[in-house]
Amino acid sequence: MSENPYQTYDARILEVKDLTSREKLFTLRFLDPEVEAKFDFKPGQFIIVDIRGFGEFPISICSSPTRKGYFQLCIRKVGRMTKFVHKMKEGDVVGIRGPYGNGFPMEKMEGSNLILVAGGLGMAPLRSVLWYAIDTGKYENVWLLYGTKAYEDILFRDEIIHLLKHGEAMNCSVKLAYEVESPSCIYLEQGFSDRVCKGVVTDLFRGEEFDVENTYALICGPPVMYKFVIRELLDRKLSPGRIYMTLERRMRCGVGKCGHCVVGTSVSMKYICQDGPVFTYWDALSTRGLI
Amino acid sequence: MRYIKLPSENFERFFKSLEAWGTLYAPVKKGDIYSFQEVHDPAEIALDYTRTMLPPKKFFFRPREAILRLKNGRWEEEVEAEPMVLFGLHSCDIHGLKILDKVYLNEPADPYYKSRREKTLIIGISCMPDEYCFCKSLGTHFAMDGFDLFLHELPDGWLVRIGSVRGHEIAWENGELFEEVTDEDLANFKEFEEKRAKAFQKELPQEGLADMLDLAYNSPVWKKYAEICLACGNCNMVCPTCRCYEVCDSWMDAYSSVRERRYDSCFMENHGLVAGGHNFRPTRLDRFRHRYYCKSYFDPTAGYNCVGCGRCDEFCPAKIEHVKVLEEVRGSLQ
Repeated sequence: MSENPYQTYDARILEVKDLTSREKLFTLRFLDPEVEAKFDFKPGQFIIVDIRGFGEFPISICSSPTRKGYFQLCIRKVGRMTKFVHKMKEGDVVGIRGPYGNGFPMEKMEGSNLILVAGGLGMAPLRSVLWYAIDTGKYENVWLLYGTKAYEDILFRDEIIHLLKHGEAMNCSVKLAYEVESPSCIYLEQGFSDRVCKGVVTDLFRGEEFDVENTYALICGPPVMYKFVIRELLDRKLSPGRIYMTLERRMRCGVGKCGHCVVGTSVSMKYICQDGPVFTYWDALSTRGLI
Repeated sequence: MRYIKLPSENFERFFKSLEAWGTLYAPVKKGDIYSFQEVHDPAEIALDYTRTMLPPKKFFFRPREAILRLKNGRWEEEVEAEPMVLFGLHSCDIHGLKILDKVYLNEPADPYYKSRREKTLIIGISCMPDEYCFCKSLGTHFAMDGFDLFLHELPDGWLVRIGSVRGHEIAWENGELFEEVTDEDLANFKEFEEKRAKAFQKELPQEGLADMLDLAYNSPVWKKYAEICLACGNCNMVCPTCRCYEVCDSWMDAYSSVRERRYDSCFMENHGLVAGGHNFRPTRLDRFRHRYYCKSYFDPTAGYNCVGCGRCDEFCPAKIEHVKVLEEVRGSLQ
């Protein structure tokens, strides 16, 4: 392997699956067995996808490292690069470098309850945590609170519905909030009246009590969501050090050089790509501009 | 530190001898500005220059450079570095390179920067401050390391400090050009430094600065200056410690493409933009404040990200003064 941190490695698209009208799930595997064997990541880490000759973009890995032999990316069509990627088919090859960033402290959280709070596309990095927690079985209870726009926008819908039905057996409890009413949502709500409701993700906290001494919250969603979710958690006296959030910036390099993800002031300066992208709420309190 | 003396009459021979170590670059005068250029004749050098427009970072982290070339679907790495001798760096610029090292040599090291840095000799030269310099306040007015040789002006030659093994080798190979330092030379050196210390017109008291600036996050002074600022990004380009870059792929023909990087500026609107259109620094105020905070970040192990070279002041078309902004922001707290 090259010493050059900007070199990218061939990975073949094994499968492309439509998740919604905007998001596709890409399953990839490195071509070089040596690269494949060395590639290991933690939930919450990200990689950089290289469409050679067109550019690169950072994206978090949405599969769990417990599932070996492949990794998955959930890509929303939003701009020039992702539009290009959405045209790619099974068998096509892209460049990949990484993984980058700190990821969630999965080992530190072992034995605790996990509350995953996802909004929209924020489901992608938290899916990695979700399956990691279920596969390893090292966590007490796992709650997934997922806020989505409409039934059609639910990412990994099959998995979510599967966990709604059978999650209890895996110590996993899923709750879903939707904003736009539709027959499918009402049908879902009738089936799981205690866990599916119309509203926003913070509504899912209603009536929930948890042991603040033994619980971690992990949040990912659009920038506007953090403030409201954090307020719910702080109201229940969860320590800012137990609230983890994964943040987004458009990193060009991923290795702490290009400067695009720098945040902070004269007393605290962080590179989201290396110091993050996972931060505690305490980090956000002590570093201005983080959220 | 080892000290030797280079008498004035040997300067030319000494300078010529440096060519054996790599391509020689030194400050020359071009119109109204100074610039580091390839030099063959010592008469071309502006020994008493104030500051160049672009700092010596341009030799290691280039304004625009190809990092990868696409051949047959794969990126070929282009890590080339020719041996260079940078002659005549001021202390502030040597400190500036040390700050860049912190970023670019930090693991994983940037291979382009690293190979050029390793193949380059740095020869410092003493200077007299002008109205823009405030390096003394930041402790960057004297370099203790980060150079191979450092030349201090004496009435009849140069007092040379040797800062590295390579510097020692140069002195060794040109042994006949150097003399031992006398007491008189030391007295002259001391006199020069004292005169220089008194010549600074600008000062930025460091005491509690990082803390005060953080507390003054919402100061109206930021807004006042953000409105004067033209957001041209000149200050980023000329700053010896600004190191943001943008990456762009461009096609040379139907089969080959090149991945280039070029200087980026945090004053540009898309610096804080992410996919989907959210901007983390949407206003000029956000971007203005971000640059000042980035420069004023106090790293407990390495100090400030600013070396007080005065370039951003001299080349600011809106005549915004770095020290004045920070002083006013601090003052607005009371």
